[in-house]
Amino acid sequence: MLRTNASQLVELAVHGRVWPVAGDHYDYRTTSGGRGATHIGMAGICFTHRVGDAAFGWEADHLEPGVSIRHPDDGDEHALHYLACMGNDAIVTSGACSGATGVVTGEHAHVLVDFPPEAIEMLAVGDEIQIRSLGTGLQLLDHPDVITHKLSPRLLDALDASTTDDMKLQVGVVAEIPSYLMGSGAELSPDYVDQDFMTGDREEIARLGLDRLRLGDIVAVRDEDHGWGRGFYSGAVTIGLIIHGDSAWTGHGPGVLDLLSSRDGGIVPVRSPDANIALTLGLRVPSELERDDQTNHVSSYAMSSDLGGS
Amino acid sequence: MSDNRSQLVGVAVQGSVVSPQLPALPASPYIIGADGKAVLLPAPGGIVYNVSIGDSAYGWLADMVQPGVSIAAAGGANNALRGLACVGNEAIVVSGRALGKRGAVTGKSGRFAEHVILHFDREVLEMIALGDKILVRAIGRGLALSDAADVHLKSMSPRLLDALEVGASESAGVTVPVAAEVPGSLMGAGAGLTSEAGCVQIQTDDRAALATHGVEGLRLGDVVAIRDFDCRWGNGYLKDAVTIGVVVHGDSVRGGHGPGVTPVMTAVGGRIQPQLVAERNIGELLGLKTATGVTA
Repeated sequence: MLRTNASQLVELAVHGRVWPVAGDHYDYRTTSGGRGATHIGMAGICFTHRVGDAAFGWEADHLEPGVSIRHPDDGDEHALHYLACMGNDAIVTSGACSGATGVVTGEHAHVLVDFPPEAIEMLAVGDEIQIRSLGTGLQLLDHPDVITHKLSPRLLDALDASTTDDMKLQVGVVAEIPSYLMGSGAELSPDYVDQDFMTGDREEIARLGLDRLRLGDIVAVRDEDHGWGRGFYSGAVTIGLIIHGDSAWTGHGPGVLDLLSSRDGGIVPVRSPDANIALTLGLRVPSELERDDQTNHVSSYAMSSDLGGS
Repeated sequence: MSDNRSQLVGVAVQGSVVSPQLPALPASPYIIGADGKAVLLPAPGGIVYNVSIGDSAYGWLADMVQPGVSIAAAGGANNALRGLACVGNEAIVVSGRALGKRGAVTGKSGRFAEHVILHFDREVLEMIALGDKILVRAIGRGLALSDAADVHLKSMSPRLLDALEVGASESAGVTVPVAAEVPGSLMGAGAGLTSEAGCVQIQTDDRAALATHGVEGLRLGDVVAIRDFDCRWGNGYLKDAVTIGVVVHGDSVRGGHGPGVTPVMTAVGGRIQPQLVAERNIGELLGLKTATGVTA
């Protein structure tokens, strides 16, 4: 068991609303091959996809699984974004399924909450959802070089993480992402939102096996320090959570939400194929996540980028 | 090489000289470096008197210093200003004490600044005030090389294209002399954003990596190549893509940040072949009076 300061953390309510899919999301966006394409996938209630599903291959861009929430008032919205931590409990506080509970599984343009199917059927756009935020300030007492971001004590416990004999933090991950693939979001704070890894080089993504990642996978990013910003630093390691789906826009791809980062090589990633929060937080059963080897890992939408040639 | 410049349409876009921006009270004025240290430094924008095109991109006690004068417009007009202004375009002061004085577009800054960056001679700089209106004679959008249609030109004025001495190559599409080659692996902030209206930044937190790749001596205005980086329709990693750009602003202590490069030319599949030369700076190439005599 990792020693933490979790007993000193303060648990606070923050809130948002099930946020509608916005009209401007239907404008043409340009794929990395220079094609105009409409795209869906962000905001609203997603009836078809949950954390645990493939991150690639859907006819969608930046697919946000489950329910996307935000708040119309800036102060409330920023509190929601900065304080909601991965693995926090959510409760519906208005509407037809008031009282239903879910779990925070991501943060992108919206905070993403996973609900069981019976709640998804009852939720409506505009329903109020409250988060019991807990995790800001979390420290690993035996790993002072490791910085946490948006990591709830519950998710920390669910990580396959331990202290090695030489006092490094070993963390089980599904895959490792090289720093040169880290893209959109380098200009943003790791305490606010995710950073995409870039999938425009489809051969490279397939070579590294990254096209088999699932929403909810725990991954390592090599040579990236995400302490107080996001950048290349040789030997640094960042542990993140895959929170949204692939994208056909240049410099975009599935989102990596930072959880842990060490500038000084204090994190050692090890392979752990089942390190997915849908399983480790008990949101879904393993049979729902069985891999289908026939899955098409690139949607026709994303493929259109490769047909653009020059 | 021949091109389609006779078909281009020149239009006026305009902005005002912007003040540097700091957060409103009671927010903290500090920026946080990659090492976690809070510092208060001049923010990008405004009128910068003592840093010019031709000076070092490193070592200044400022966040992403933009040499010369930075302008922006309100609302959608800024999208037009940033989208249509091309590096090398002529800028004309249309209000204030420097009325009628002429300068040149040297670059564009990225997300959260979103300025067009202009060079003026030192004596003109002394006369310009924050808020002065400056018109840019925007020409260059649509510019293409007749014999290398797969080489995409971005924010490239005919004047800059002439100065770059782009050569035809049988093995590659074109050759371009550059002051440095930057690996795509060092590119940070700006990835995933537009390649038409801003810049993408060379990450400098890992100083040893800068030395390894020979990019620790960059100057503002340097013409550089970025390897394995595609800027055709946005900025992102792609093996064998090459982008040619201009260093437009200075270094930053922020993680993922550093000198900004505004793309002017990009192609996939090795169709641009950079040629490393000792010096390649738009100050000299465009005949700008640059030397401040100051080094960081």
